[in-house]
Amino acid sequence: MSGKGFYQEFEVFSKRTDTSPLQYQFSLLAPNHELALVMAQENFMRREPVADIWVVKRDDVRKMTLEERQTLQRLDNKDYRNTKGYGYLKKKWRHYEQEMLDEKEILSWGGKQEK
Amino acid sequence: MVNPISFDQLTEEEKYQHFIERIEAGEKIEADDWMPADYRMTLIKLISMHGISEIMGALPEKEWVPKAPSLRRKLGIMAKVQDEMGHGQLLLRVVEDLMKPLGKSRENIIQDLLSGDLKFHNVFHMEAKTWGDAGLIGWLVDGAAIITQTNMLDASYGPYARALKRICAEEVFHAQHGEAIIMALAEGTDEQKAMIQDSINRWWEALLMFFGPGDASTTGTSKQDTTIKYKIRTKTNEELRQDFFTKYIPRVLSLGLKLPDETMHFDQESGMWQYQQPDWSKFKQIIKNNGPKSKDRLRLREISYSNNKWVIDALSAKA
Amino acid sequence: MRYALEDAMKNEAYRDAAVELLFQLADDDFILAYRGSEWLGLAPHIEEDVAFSSISQDTMGHAAMFYQLLHELGAGDPDELAHARPASDRKNAILLEKVNGPGTYLTEPHYDWAFAVVRNYFYAQAKKVKIESLKNSSYQPLAEAAVKVNMELYYHLLHWKTWFSQLVSAGGEATTRMETAMETAFGDLDGLFSLGQKGAEMVKHNLIESEDDLRKRWVQAMSPVVASLDINMPEKFGMKSGNGRDGVHSSDLQSALDTLGEVYNFDPAASW
Repeated sequence: MSGKGFYQEFEVFSKRTDTSPLQYQFSLLAPNHELALVMAQENFMRREPVADIWVVKRDDVRKMTLEERQTLQRLDNKDYRNTKGYGYLKKKWRHYEQEMLDEKEILSWGGKQEK
Repeated sequence: MVNPISFDQLTEEEKYQHFIERIEAGEKIEADDWMPADYRMTLIKLISMHGISEIMGALPEKEWVPKAPSLRRKLGIMAKVQDEMGHGQLLLRVVEDLMKPLGKSRENIIQDLLSGDLKFHNVFHMEAKTWGDAGLIGWLVDGAAIITQTNMLDASYGPYARALKRICAEEVFHAQHGEAIIMALAEGTDEQKAMIQDSINRWWEALLMFFGPGDASTTGTSKQDTTIKYKIRTKTNEELRQDFFTKYIPRVLSLGLKLPDETMHFDQESGMWQYQQPDWSKFKQIIKNNGPKSKDRLRLREISYSNNKWVIDALSAKA
Repeated sequence: MRYALEDAMKNEAYRDAAVELLFQLADDDFILAYRGSEWLGLAPHIEEDVAFSSISQDTMGHAAMFYQLLHELGAGDPDELAHARPASDRKNAILLEKVNGPGTYLTEPHYDWAFAVVRNYFYAQAKKVKIESLKNSSYQPLAEAAVKVNMELYYHLLHWKTWFSQLVSAGGEATTRMETAMETAFGDLDGLFSLGQKGAEMVKHNLIESEDDLRKRWVQAMSPVVASLDINMPEKFGMKSGNGRDGVHSSDLQSALDTLGEVYNFDPAASW
């Protein structure tokens, strides 16, 4: 199947909106990238909005083996990486009569410019 | 993940054990994962038959696409036949990946279909004589398909389960498309009403057969035990058929239609529907491509294959 | 001046010209979508079968929009317009009614993919040119419909252009087949641009631009493709089979009408 021939394997990815992440859809067979691209939307997204489509030759995707997937496991002991590990600060700040600058607060700062 | 292990150090027996533990734990098997040969073969047989049945299943309804009686119906049935082809695409991709280690591809699937080695569902060997049949296929054949397909939504083979999830979502549209046609006929003129009754009478036996024989004693072999063992599906053929009766018989009767089986009734004691068994020897003949439309529909696929071969050849070198 | 529905209904000459134009647009899309629906399950590749079907659905959807505009102008029920008018009343270009190949869709359909690609590509480009012009149509409802239809044409054009370019440049049998199909299409291509006997009226009322302008714009749009693929495009196109805008049609249309109206005509008064 690899190499030349009409039936080349392509993996199809798409974005639902400009701001959504790229999502894997499915695979299709096509003789080249151009035809893969013009068939992709109608095969996998004919009932939903799409903002962008990527097609990738299957040969160019390096997948993990079953054994390699075991390398993805981690212990759940890393709260120092997350805000969860710093929750105690809330109480501390209260002592100084300050609000905690939590994720919700900080991510709201970039918001719309006020005129 | 079940028992992290170093795979190459395991014996075949241990690999098998690990595989069984994974599916027992509800893990999904992926295309490139180790799997026992008979798991692979069972999936190939099941999914290639399922996939090619979608492709062949597009044909009886397709006969009615150009003839559909309004713009809306023309659009609806076109979309439905498109979905059948689309489901075939999804399923063939799943089975093509399973066949790849055996050196087989889509071309082999089509060849196997044309040579008669690959079977397709009994219902798609039947004639779709009237517009009523087009409605009935959407309503009851797709209804039956929904019952069997939702039964496998949690299949242990990940790619199949994911394809089925897409398929079942679209089947809901199919069922409603079929219901819309049937409803219009049921509420229509006397001729229109007679049209659906006639469709039910002609399709009833094929619908019963759709779920397959109750057990191996009827036709000699049955794959249902293997598919249940490997957690590809959960219910037996007979359980699925009973589910179908429970869901659809009250609806059929509510439209004033009659079942062509006078013995049909729900037995309170056993909690089962009692019905006249279809002629299973006929079933065996039908799926051997000796049904009323088997040859004609295979001929259509053959023409499509041979007529368009130049297109495949022309673009093969351009990869 | 821009005409709303009420304005058009007050001006008979204007209304007649608008109705005539709408019949051409609706019938073109309807019959080509019908030909597309005959291809279901028979395309060269499963993935392509699915994609092609979407285009046929879009196209029939456009036909339904135009029949609806006709209905508003008092021309009749959209389903009746689509299913029950005799061939002599149909205004589609003859190129679009031609069969997909020998055989019927039910028996021995020896359909020609080269002709499908060429016809659909040429038509998609012609439709694009027309729709661009119609976006400025004096008939407001038509101008609004044109904006909507235009949205789906980008895909139709890209899809068919991709197939067209690849098959024309593939060499060997593919190129020969594509050339044969183009010869057939060029021979009747003028039928697509024709506005029929009320053409002058349509232009006078600013419903659409003239045939010559439309044809010129088509040639212009095609010229990069023609140049890069080294295509032998004739100086003049033909209308060998006649002008469908005048109700002249081939037997291909009659047999299509018999099929597409079979169930409808079983009982036109019934609800289906």
